[in-house]
Amino acid sequence: MSEEKVISVDQTTLQMLDKAKNEGLETAWDRKVAQKAACGFGSAGVCCRNCTMGPCRVSPVPGKGAERGICGATADVIVARNFARMVAGGAAAHADHGRSIVLELLHASPNGAIQVKDEKKLKKVAARFGIETEGRDVYDVAHELAQAGLRDFGRQEGHIVLPPTVPAKRKEIWEKLDIVPRGFDREVVAIMHSTHIGCMADAEAILKMGLRCGLADGWLGSYMATEFSDIMFGTPHSRPTEASLGVLEHNQVNIVLHGHEPVLSEMIVAAAEMPEMIELAKSQGADGINLCGMCCTANEATMRHGVKLAGNFMQQELAVITGAVDALVVDVQCIFPALAKLSESYHTKFITTSPKARITGATHMEMDEAAPLKTGIAVVKEAIMNFKNRDKSKVMIPEAKTKAEVGYSTEEILNKLDGVVNSHIGPMQSTKPLADVIVAGVIRGAAGVVGCNNPKTVHDEGHLEVIKGLIKNDIIVVTTGCAAQAAAKAGLLTKEAKELAGPGLKKVCELVDIPPVLHMGSCVDISRILELVGMTANQLGVDISDLPVVGIAPEYMSEKAISIGNYVVASGIDTWLGVVPPVTGGPEVVDILTNRIEEWVGAKFFVETDPHKTVEQIVNRVNEKRKKLGI
Amino acid sequence: MNLFQTVFTGSKQALAAAEGLVAKAVEEKGRDCKVAFPDTAYSLPVIYAATGKKITTVAELEGALDIVRSLIVEEEMLDKLLNSGLATAVAAEIVEAAKYVLSDAPYAAPCAGFVSDPIIRSLGVPLVTGDIPGVAVVLGECPDAESAAKVIKDYQSKGLLTFLVGKVIDQAIEANVKMGLELRVIPLGYDVTSVIHVVTVAIRAALIFGGVKPGNLAEVLQYCSDRVPAFVNAFGPLSELVVSAGAGAIALGFPVVTDQTVTEVPTLLLTQKDYDKVVKTSLEARKIKIKITEIPIPVAFAAAFEGERIRKND
Ligand code: SF4
Ligand code: SF4
Repeated sequence: MSEEKVISVDQTTLQMLDKAKNEGLETAWDRKVAQKAACGFGSAGVCCRNCTMGPCRVSPVPGKGAERGICGATADVIVARNFARMVAGGAAAHADHGRSIVLELLHASPNGAIQVKDEKKLKKVAARFGIETEGRDVYDVAHELAQAGLRDFGRQEGHIVLPPTVPAKRKEIWEKLDIVPRGFDREVVAIMHSTHIGCMADAEAILKMGLRCGLADGWLGSYMATEFSDIMFGTPHSRPTEASLGVLEHNQVNIVLHGHEPVLSEMIVAAAEMPEMIELAKSQGADGINLCGMCCTANEATMRHGVKLAGNFMQQELAVITGAVDALVVDVQCIFPALAKLSESYHTKFITTSPKARITGATHMEMDEAAPLKTGIAVVKEAIMNFKNRDKSKVMIPEAKTKAEVGYSTEEILNKLDGVVNSHIGPMQSTKPLADVIVAGVIRGAAGVVGCNNPKTVHDEGHLEVIKGLIKNDIIVVTTGCAAQAAAKAGLLTKEAKELAGPGLKKVCELVDIPPVLHMGSCVDISRILELVGMTANQLGVDISDLPVVGIAPEYMSEKAISIGNYVVASGIDTWLGVVPPVTGGPEVVDILTNRIEEWVGAKFFVETDPHKTVEQIVNRVNEKRKKLGI
Repeated sequence: MNLFQTVFTGSKQALAAAEGLVAKAVEEKGRDCKVAFPDTAYSLPVIYAATGKKITTVAELEGALDIVRSLIVEEEMLDKLLNSGLATAVAAEIVEAAKYVLSDAPYAAPCAGFVSDPIIRSLGVPLVTGDIPGVAVVLGECPDAESAAKVIKDYQSKGLLTFLVGKVIDQAIEANVKMGLELRVIPLGYDVTSVIHVVTVAIRAALIFGGVKPGNLAEVLQYCSDRVPAFVNAFGPLSELVVSAGAGAIALGFPVVTDQTVTEVPTLLLTQKDYDKVVKTSLEARKIKIKITEIPIPVAFAAAFEGERIRKND
């Protein structure tokens, strides 16, 4: 690899890429090279295909070349429409994810595979939807809650039920801007409508629609997905795990869970723990069953069960290339279609399970919604029976693995904070200790580092440099998604990592007994971050935009990340993007996103591809906010 | 003003005060004049522990002002804040040393001023055995003598060693709190800087009982934090100087509990406005568990009273 430019800061990734090269296999990095230089029009967002008069491409440089599409749409209109459609795509992904989860709650039953595991959380969420819980049967409440949740997906009148963690001032801002979401699906449809040819042609108004749709994602779709998952599968608590491709085992049945929805991983975890499955594995000559995860399914399963983290987005092919994966089981989102062809080179069974994500060439074992555990068992069996087909001569599992601590739900963070509350002062179960250390300046602020991998950046470098830079400056980091896995692999999710933190954060880590970087879960679990930030703002009686809090997506790639960025900014949190979004061809759009939007919502986008400069900018911005607050 | 700026401001005030008094000592006694606290082998204990150097003359005392200056780095990070607190402590020691230069007996009854080595040695065993479960530093002024007495007597009944600094001394006298070393209540002085005389108790404990080498500041701080179960109650309005002294206490691992509204820092700087809860709050903050079970008899009953002679007319 040495003669080429550095591809990843993760050693196991480089090892596996060498193996791929030796075996003549192609990965996303090779395909990136094969793409040659990306089209400048698309990169700048000035290419439109919204009708068959086009495709049109206009000049990204004002006053030069074609300034309008055939219908007369300007560069700014085209860029804004494309951007809004990215928001809609991302929000739709989270919407459908949330919807499945709500439907699962609707079908939960005391004797079924899906039950109510966290009654306390059920009551809390039911209360916020105005549902009576006193003296009622748990499943009646659950089903009524699911109905109420579903109503907000398809709501046609009024507004969605916002959680109480939205500060009053924030709500006012949204009302004034008219960006309080109506139904979730409706906001997605609205964007698809307004971006149709001959509809919305005002960049500012289109971008506001994007904010509204994003808010439906963050404060409804993702929020509900997280809450309802906790109700059914348990609220996460801190627990140990291990990370890196080295978590694959030589003499065990390796099942890699990849995708997003927790129901798949939950069922497989349950199936893999069954004594008869373990017996079956032994009868096939394996020592046991080794479950590992990738991407957000990994995050879900690790938060609740400590399932090991095999790797993040750009490593999905590399897991197969180890030759040790007996089954790669996927559901939806961020699954490379390339996996189908790649797994043909090994014994690996590539199993799709969702009707929403069929992949040609994969073995499809559709999740039976009425009897999901059955599907789980069938998949695990398939993996076990495939163990004997493993070609040991082709196996190479990297030696590396790293300890990590995961499971920091908002509830768990509050529990940890209780540990530093003086029982004669109180209150318990509040964010006051967090608010206190921020106000005192012991920690300077808080940052959510989230998002994907992207072959445009050095794999994991952005995540790690940003996280390390921030904690060194006494900014506590919470993380989700593939950023969390980067942190896990690098050992940043350990209590020992406090040594990399600044003096204040280190002290806080010691007092509260936490790592300086807290894994809060999957991408939909960014709603946990919203919850925590909202509670802290309410605690201090300020708006979210007043807090020294930021969001960063150093290596994002998906439309979901764009939707996330929109709701984070709309919630009043400055957001840094480490990859340039396709908006540079629309000067007004750039001006709105990185400047004027601040007048609307008190926060804006920053685009910075250099992680060190990102850290510098964040520290300055955090200090500015502190000054404004007088802290 | 944010917490950092308050502490920095207080430290600079402490430095200015120290500069003023040292200048006075130079003027009145000359640079060659001897500097020493009574009955100690540890010179100026704070400076000795921090630097390993003994201050013997006014000229050296003047030079020690540089230690204070070097510890005040106005950058908003926790380590700088704690150092600034230590700067205030060093400045306070310089002020107090200058008092002993300028006067042969700067302290008079009821105030004890500097605590001598023999007293510290006598406290060593009960501290180690837990017979003295903690050291309370009560500083400032309560709203009335009654609440002051309630807090102090509560510590006394639990066997803690309590040092008083400021107006609270008068309040304790007014409320008939019985004082003295055997009774484990020691009034130090009325100036805030006299609080340093309890700090040097903790620091000398590290040197005497902990065997820590002078000059090894980090180890001294660690010893105090781990082994000296002290804490501070700061009552009444808090000046910047007091807050910066509080940062010094926190650097030594001693939590500060105050009745004022402050920027709280969990486990380290706490507000407790209810005087009935101050004691419990403080003991919990310093993780002090009382070994002696309280016996519900009308007279407070504890080790602190062992030394008390019942006088005829009582
Ligand atoms: S909508 Fe307008 S800009 Fe887009 S392809 Fe059609 S004519 Fe061209
Ligand atoms: S962080 Fe990005 S790549 Fe990773 S699972 Fe989420 S959306 Fe997919």
